[in-house]
Amino acid sequence: MSKEKVLAKKDLRKAAWRWLMGISTFNYETQLAPSAFFSVYPCLRKMYPDDEDLKKSCLNYMRYYNTMPWISPFVIGAALGIEDEGGIASLDAVNDFKVGLMGPLAGIGDTIGWAMIPTIFGSIAASMGMEGNPLGIFLWAGFTFAFLAVRILQYEWGYGMGVNVITKFGKQITVFTEACSVLGLTVVGSLIATVVKLNTGLSFQNGDVVMEVQSLIDGVMPALLPVAAVAIIYYFMKVKKVKMTWMILFIIIASMIGAATGIFTA
Amino acid sequence: MELSAIQIILITLIAYLKMTDTVTTQLFAFNTIVVGWLTGLVVGDPMTGLSIGATMQLMSMGVVAVGGSSMPDYPIAAIIATTIAVTTGKGMEAGLAIGLPVAMLGVNFDVIYKIFNGFLARKETSLIEEGKFQKALNLIKISPIFYGLCSAIPVFVCCVAGAPVVNAILDFMPEWFTTGLSIAGGVLPGVGMAMLLMYMPLNKYWSFLLVGFVLAAYLNVSVLGIAMVGLAAAYEVYKKQMNSGTVGTVAAGGLEDE
Repeated sequence: MSKEKVLAKKDLRKAAWRWLMGISTFNYETQLAPSAFFSVYPCLRKMYPDDEDLKKSCLNYMRYYNTMPWISPFVIGAALGIEDEGGIASLDAVNDFKVGLMGPLAGIGDTIGWAMIPTIFGSIAASMGMEGNPLGIFLWAGFTFAFLAVRILQYEWGYGMGVNVITKFGKQITVFTEACSVLGLTVVGSLIATVVKLNTGLSFQNGDVVMEVQSLIDGVMPALLPVAAVAIIYYFMKVKKVKMTWMILFIIIASMIGAATGIFTA
Repeated sequence: MELSAIQIILITLIAYLKMTDTVTTQLFAFNTIVVGWLTGLVVGDPMTGLSIGATMQLMSMGVVAVGGSSMPDYPIAAIIATTIAVTTGKGMEAGLAIGLPVAMLGVNFDVIYKIFNGFLARKETSLIEEGKFQKALNLIKISPIFYGLCSAIPVFVCCVAGAPVVNAILDFMPEWFTTGLSIAGGVLPGVGMAMLLMYMPLNKYWSFLLVGFVLAAYLNVSVLGIAMVGLAAAYEVYKKQMNSGTVGTVAAGGLEDE
């Protein structure tokens, strides 16, 4: 069941720019589906002269869809590749393909794009910013602007590969993510020592000498309290499944109690 | 110092554009420091803006909204904190005391907007079913246009309320409240660190966490230098894994949603 391919490079380019609609359409039922539909509509119009076929394909794109927006163009590009070849008969395959790919790719995209990159560039920009130097902001922005090209080109890459995407990149992507995690863990280790800050104001009388608890702690190891704080937060969030917003509120309240009693100092 | 009408408009515009970028082009996604700096330029004190932006950047680090979850609106905290710190002259702590609670409330605007998007999506689907494709496309365009208001409105209200109101609120706040907030400012990055650790293969590669910690805590290597060490380690891991037959499963399930 194959037909003549109708999409050209400029159609895919156009769909890529239209995807910059991004996550603004996010809703709790179909998530990013409206953005996906908005992005591919001109392509679908070209593929289906018949309004009834077009309607079926559009509704197919209005079904639940969510992945990391910087990698999504690849998924949708490949989906278009499949649909341009299989036509209206391939709609179920297209949807299965999207759903099958969006989960794993979201995992990779979130880890690298939303966790690793902002952590690394953000800590560089912040440490320069603390010294009054705005250059770190431009370093970061330079990266995201350059990566915009990759986001746009993914439609063409995905389209060219179609279903072969899965077999071609399966292992490479997993290994790449794992390697990135190593970089991420190294940076996080340093950030726990430098970014998280917690000091105690406790002291006790030992004969005539006032002993500051903080200096005793510093003698044991640097950043001991921050490490303990992160360990406790990690325990609550990972083991006790405490939600992020509650965790933040809990920390604010605990800090205020600490400030009132003098256990913690700023 | 009183804000002029133009300054209020510009500050509100920064908030609007920042949120709009975050949900569409994402060129400054999670970049909180930039809005602190820009706000600082508008109110005439870029240095204060930069240091408040940097503080908020660290505070929000690793706290990511994925899979459609909502997070505190840290950029507006940076914008409001900078504005208040400069206009009242009471420094960053005063700014945080107002900015942080507003940012926490910002979560609710985000949730409400996503519910609103749900109404739009249902309407769009029924329009497509009726064959009115162009109308459905036009309806979709509403989403990115008004999303920015989630940030712009709270910032505008804070700016218009102005220094007298803010001063009154700050005078009313006890010392443990503001001190507590600045202590929290030091601990909150820990939430981000914990979240990062939750979706990294900590059990398999915890040794690199230790390497990073020692380099920073004992040897005072800057973050760029540590990133280079991490890159070297990452390359070795990549090379080794690609040559071996087995591959560990990493992040297959994605991040856990809020």
